[in-house]
Amino acid sequence: MTERRTVLIRYDEIGLKGRNRKFFEKCLLRNIRRVLSGADDIHYSSPRGRIFLDIPASFAEECSVKLKAVPGIASFSIGISMNSDFDAIAALGVQWIEPRLKSVDSLNFCVKTRRSEKSFPKTSPEVNFEVGSRIMKQLSPEGLTVNITEAEYVLEIEIGRSETVVFDNRQQGLCGLPVGSSGNVLCLLSGGIDSPVSAFMMACRGCRVHFVFFDNQPFLGRGGYDKVLTLAKKINHFQAKATLYVVPFEEIQGAIRDHCNEENRIVLYRRMMYRIAAEIAERKGCLALVNGESLGQVASQTLENIAAVSCVTSLSVLRPLIGMNKESIINKAKEIGTYEVSIEPQPDCCSVFMPKNPVTRSKIPFLERDEEKIPWQELSDKAIAEMEIIRVDDL
Amino acid sequence: MVYLDNAATSPMDAEVVARVHEAMRDLFANSGTPYKIGLDAKSLIEKSAQSIAETLQIPPTHRILFTSGGTESNNLFIKGLCFPDKKAAFLGLEHPSVTESLRFLSQFGNEPLSLLSSQKEGRFDLGSIPTLKEKRVRLLCLSHVNNELGTVNDPLKIISALAKESPQTRLFLDGVQAIGKLKLDPQMWKGLAGYSISGHKIHGPKGIGLLVYDSKLVLAPQMHGGKQQFGIRSGTLPLPLILGLETAIKRAVAQTEETQRHLQGLCEHLIQGLKSLEKPELKIRFNSLVDADSSRQSPGIVNFSFPPVEGEVILHHLEAKDIFVGLGSACSAHSKEPSRILMGIGLREEQARCSLRISFSRNNTSEEIDQFLEAFAKAYQTLYPTFLKKAEHR
Repeated sequence: MTERRTVLIRYDEIGLKGRNRKFFEKCLLRNIRRVLSGADDIHYSSPRGRIFLDIPASFAEECSVKLKAVPGIASFSIGISMNSDFDAIAALGVQWIEPRLKSVDSLNFCVKTRRSEKSFPKTSPEVNFEVGSRIMKQLSPEGLTVNITEAEYVLEIEIGRSETVVFDNRQQGLCGLPVGSSGNVLCLLSGGIDSPVSAFMMACRGCRVHFVFFDNQPFLGRGGYDKVLTLAKKINHFQAKATLYVVPFEEIQGAIRDHCNEENRIVLYRRMMYRIAAEIAERKGCLALVNGESLGQVASQTLENIAAVSCVTSLSVLRPLIGMNKESIINKAKEIGTYEVSIEPQPDCCSVFMPKNPVTRSKIPFLERDEEKIPWQELSDKAIAEMEIIRVDDL
Repeated sequence: MVYLDNAATSPMDAEVVARVHEAMRDLFANSGTPYKIGLDAKSLIEKSAQSIAETLQIPPTHRILFTSGGTESNNLFIKGLCFPDKKAAFLGLEHPSVTESLRFLSQFGNEPLSLLSSQKEGRFDLGSIPTLKEKRVRLLCLSHVNNELGTVNDPLKIISALAKESPQTRLFLDGVQAIGKLKLDPQMWKGLAGYSISGHKIHGPKGIGLLVYDSKLVLAPQMHGGKQQFGIRSGTLPLPLILGLETAIKRAVAQTEETQRHLQGLCEHLIQGLKSLEKPELKIRFNSLVDADSSRQSPGIVNFSFPPVEGEVILHHLEAKDIFVGLGSACSAHSKEPSRILMGIGLREEQARCSLRISFSRNNTSEEIDQFLEAFAKAYQTLYPTFLKKAEHR
């Protein structure tokens, strides 16, 4: 028989949910099954408050990497299932701790037990004592000491109804809610640092994030397009099943450039983007738009301009980064692996479309008057008719 | 597809591909190992170096090092020779691998002398040699052929003038854009301190190049390791790439005269064609020299400006027609700043931004030039009104 491991997965906020809890748990379990779908011989079970996986030992490392990319998991541990026999548990503890003592003079440790099976004849502190004292008996001459508050090594025991799991490697998950539990949203992806981070943050709030990109070809090269494809793929790694809409934007920009007030251009471009995004969102069943705006970061992100843009749609516009500073956003982008792609030098707007002095506090009536000069509905319909629809899973 | 960006890189010759492929399949051994197959690999590398030396008529006074390409050759020679305190000079119009290597030295107080103010037509002016002597410059770093303009620094003229007026100054040439397009006079080696060559600019493989240098000079290694190549450039030698480079150099040199004539024809055809497109709204300014004298201008590169339409936008409109042209050095094409080289020869920012570099190879035909001219004229006509408005707003 192949050697087996037990993965114990702890939820994050699902634990707080009331009657909807079952729905959230199902969502999380489905997502875990999806990320592990390539592997054979995995058995799933979900007793209250936990998900257990029984996996081949050879799959443990890969499994750990994959689980770290699943929103909704608070933490997980990969351990060994056994009978609740204190001698056997202590022997396993000794086997794990002994090699560590070889490279250090002393090591603080403790045993932590959790009983989901309350009918077990010993209390958790009693189990801690039984196992801990057995381990100390063997390893205290080699420098092992007990320290419950500042342990450098924690041996954990989870006593369930059918089995007991012993582990020592609690790993942090992404936390948040499982993707799919909060509905679909559409994120305006630019190729910069911010929008991929905001898409990731919404995925961690249980949304399935789809993407829309406004393409400047042939004024700019395919570099920006390729970059957005890579970014969409990176975010999709945390959720799957995303769609990317690539909307040709050059004609709209040309019309605004040629007919509207120069200083209003950027806000007018964005109003068109939001109209188109809202239309796509409606078709796709997305309940909100998401962007990477952070208040005051650039001229188009003043409160006045934000209001002037979002008023073109009745859809909610979610801005998970609105109160974050640039450094925190950059750190997050590095964490999720999008930063290196985002900083590739690809121009996002041709200089010919850029105004010399963009308006920082635009006035909606002036913008509306400008828009009367272009057939914006017609242009927007045409762009949507010509957009490219990409299944990100296929990239 | 019409490919007119051969100064960025060139398609590999079928013969080169076959040689590299065959060697990758059959000759895997490490040339540093003591057993038969390793020794065979070593002997093939030595033969290759010998054959390259014969093809380029490199004298025994000069040593050949295989590097990863032009950038590494330039870095290795400049830093290896001038660090920490040998004074160097440059024109300021060289490839970034030259200018950045010199900038690196300046961090240690070894400030290079820039001769930009005395450049003429994008070329080194012999009149600045007394300054080299006065400033005790030991190494003059120049492009043999400028990568954006195609202007030529004639090695023989510079070497003989240096010998007379500033004998302590040696000449280093970045020859990446010259080989295969200009006939190299073997007399130049005697006076050259160093010369760099890259495989992929001459229909060879990427990732391989040469540094040819006067073996009396002491170069400090820039990469440390197994002490291959006289201990100056450590690293296991890539035999398949070396064989590919050898094939590419032999073919380039054997065909130089024919290629030069062919490129000259294409160059004249393009220049005439561009001139015939001129009208009130399209004024062409040639940034490269309109000169058939190959000791002044390489026939492989034509650089021209056409304000107010931006080069980058035209480039992408041509791309949509499957025509590929250059903006300048591919290494700086992503930079938002206008070309340092075009600004360096005195262009205004707008002229520099509104420019293209067309660079030929022996594979190009006059029909392709016609296709380019037609697509360029169309794209310009489409874009002109938009850019005119932009210019008026400014």
